[in-house]
Amino acid sequence: MQPDEILDYLIPGIMLGALYAVIAIGYTLVYGVLQLINFAHSEVFMVGAYSALLALTWIDPSSNPTTFMSVLLVAAGLAVSGTAGAATAFTLEKVAYRPLRRRNAPRLAFLISAIGASYFLQNLAGKLFGRDSRALPTVFENKKVFSVFGTQVTILQLLIVCAAVLMMVGLDYLVNRTKLGLGIRAVAQDAETAGLMGVDIDKVISRTFIIGGFMGGIAGFLFGLHLQLSFTMGFLPGITAFAAAVVGGVGNIRGAMMGGMLLGIVESFSSPIFGESWRYVSAFAVLVLVLMFRPTGILGERLGRSA
Amino acid sequence: MRAPNFFYKGLGFAVLKRRVIKIALPIAAAALVLSACGSDDDDDKKKEGGSTAPGNTGGGNKPTWTIGFQAGLSGENAQLGINEENGARLAVEQANAKGDLPFTLKFKTSDDEASETKSVSAAQKLIDDSNVVAVIGPAFSGPTKAASPNYAKAKLATVSPSATNPSLTSAGNNFTAFLRGTPNDNAQGSGMAKYLSKKLQAKKVFVVDDKTEYGVGLSKVAKDELAKAGVQVVSDSVPKATPDYGPISTKIKNSGADAMIYAGYYQDGAPFAKKLKEAGFTGPKFSGDGTNDSQFVSLAGDAANDWFLTCPCSDANVEAATKQFTEDYKKRFNTNPSTYSAESFDIANLVIDQMKSFGAEKIGREAMLTKLKSASYKGLTKSFKFQPNGEFDGATTFIYQVKGGKIGYMGDIDQLVGG
Repeated sequence: MQPDEILDYLIPGIMLGALYAVIAIGYTLVYGVLQLINFAHSEVFMVGAYSALLALTWIDPSSNPTTFMSVLLVAAGLAVSGTAGAATAFTLEKVAYRPLRRRNAPRLAFLISAIGASYFLQNLAGKLFGRDSRALPTVFENKKVFSVFGTQVTILQLLIVCAAVLMMVGLDYLVNRTKLGLGIRAVAQDAETAGLMGVDIDKVISRTFIIGGFMGGIAGFLFGLHLQLSFTMGFLPGITAFAAAVVGGVGNIRGAMMGGMLLGIVESFSSPIFGESWRYVSAFAVLVLVLMFRPTGILGERLGRSA
Repeated sequence: MRAPNFFYKGLGFAVLKRRVIKIALPIAAAALVLSACGSDDDDDKKKEGGSTAPGNTGGGNKPTWTIGFQAGLSGENAQLGINEENGARLAVEQANAKGDLPFTLKFKTSDDEASETKSVSAAQKLIDDSNVVAVIGPAFSGPTKAASPNYAKAKLATVSPSATNPSLTSAGNNFTAFLRGTPNDNAQGSGMAKYLSKKLQAKKVFVVDDKTEYGVGLSKVAKDELAKAGVQVVSDSVPKATPDYGPISTKIKNSGADAMIYAGYYQDGAPFAKKLKEAGFTGPKFSGDGTNDSQFVSLAGDAANDWFLTCPCSDANVEAATKQFTEDYKKRFNTNPSTYSAESFDIANLVIDQMKSFGAEKIGREAMLTKLKSASYKGLTKSFKFQPNGEFDGATTFIYQVKGGKIGYMGDIDQLVGG
């Protein structure tokens, strides 16, 4: 790799990392309040993508949209995928987790329930939308917007990074500055005491799922624009994002953002340095390395206490 | 719960009511699930017909024999399997409709999801059915490699319309029941190399495989043949389902290669094509029969334009010999035949042709295998003959190019290159 090619790989890496970060937040938020890995989150992501496919084909199946139409279509895609993701996550919590929580089920039951829900949603989507891959309709022509030191940045890359950054800033504000955020942090620190202090734990948990699902759904739509859709599309990004959450320190929101970015960039650079087949090897080697020196992840210091 | 409440009271079960429901509900649910599973088997038996046990010729009934079919019919690369299934099914239906068969033909499909791990059980499903006398498939090289030892043990002949990995017929494998109904990847790989070096005068070619049995085999032959022709070769592997084809596309662009070959399936070829276009790579792009499918074009959109796609198959929609077949196919399945539909139709007819030679006698699997090995059959697409190791006898490769959203047929590579 030549030094002047660094940006050629850094920019796609940032784009992929931004997507991983947004998905990782979904894992980490739920872990924060429930100490539970929501393995069905990858299917929330997939549902987001398919809902955008349905909405976009319904609005405009033509392949040459005007600029105004493009903006409208992207906005519609974001809105629909976010809503569908939030609705799926909300239902998931109601159906797959809340009944177990009410009965004080052991940790393992939650895990099985999560995997079951994941398979159910995956195969339901396969049944409804077909098991072949689908592409989203052309929402905009992916032109170059500007170039940084000779490396072109495309509209899609810009859109993905902007949407991810906006969501992350918004989430950071929500968690650190609002009453709901205070509730989320309180439940994450000590659910029982938070309950005694008048926090409605059920409501906080449900809303946490909604927030994570909203972001996951939008990530699904953006990922669909970048690649394509299939009923198993959530699996690999889901696993990587989960790893990103762990790298950053599971339960820590800023950690998830950092972890996502780190893994995305490492994956991207593994292609010119080691070869494309070392993509996941290098990403997961980073995971192991980080955990060797910081077993709780980069920013996670509360893990030991909460476990 | 009002109605059952009343019901139990009436029967004097009031005290037991709660307990009965607690026990009865799960049992009822389990029974439902079991009966749902069971009904599949019942259907199979009904379809096979009671009086036509294997080899039974009594009572004036014609015996019933089944042609098995194994391919990925669901999952990510299902389209090729479906094309083949339709072709073979049409052949079986037409043979039955003609009415001159000394037996009744059945067609039984088994889905391996194009997966090596699921292939073995998919094959077992056909092996266990003693009515199955020959199998068409498996469609892909990986699943074929996984299932062939079992087919060999059962002496059940498999004729694949599209498993093109060269190593499948190598002697060490002992895949004694495997027959290849198509020229292998050596033909495709050397066809691509010939076209690139002679027709397009390429100096440096970037070869990418997808790490599958098929992709690695195809890319190896292409690389060897290119090197022999004095072309510089660079290569890399991108495993299936990579989340981003951006970096590899940039790498190809920056390598200064003037052409590229992707040895993989359309599922991944499509996003790859998109990113190559974005990266600004404008040289000729080649791929093999795994990508030669209308799905490639519908997934990749504009980015599929100008891709060269090779195939041991000719285009049924264009060739004169397959005109009638195309019409029948359209009428039956409401869609145009696509990659390997006609080849699969031919192979089914080849199998039926050999079955006919048994007359109304019992068809044994081993005898059927022996007959198929020495069979020669003139199909709509080409003439079928097998070498002693099961390899297809012949080596023609055809080339296509995507133009304006359609896969356009160009013709026989040897003729186009002129030598």
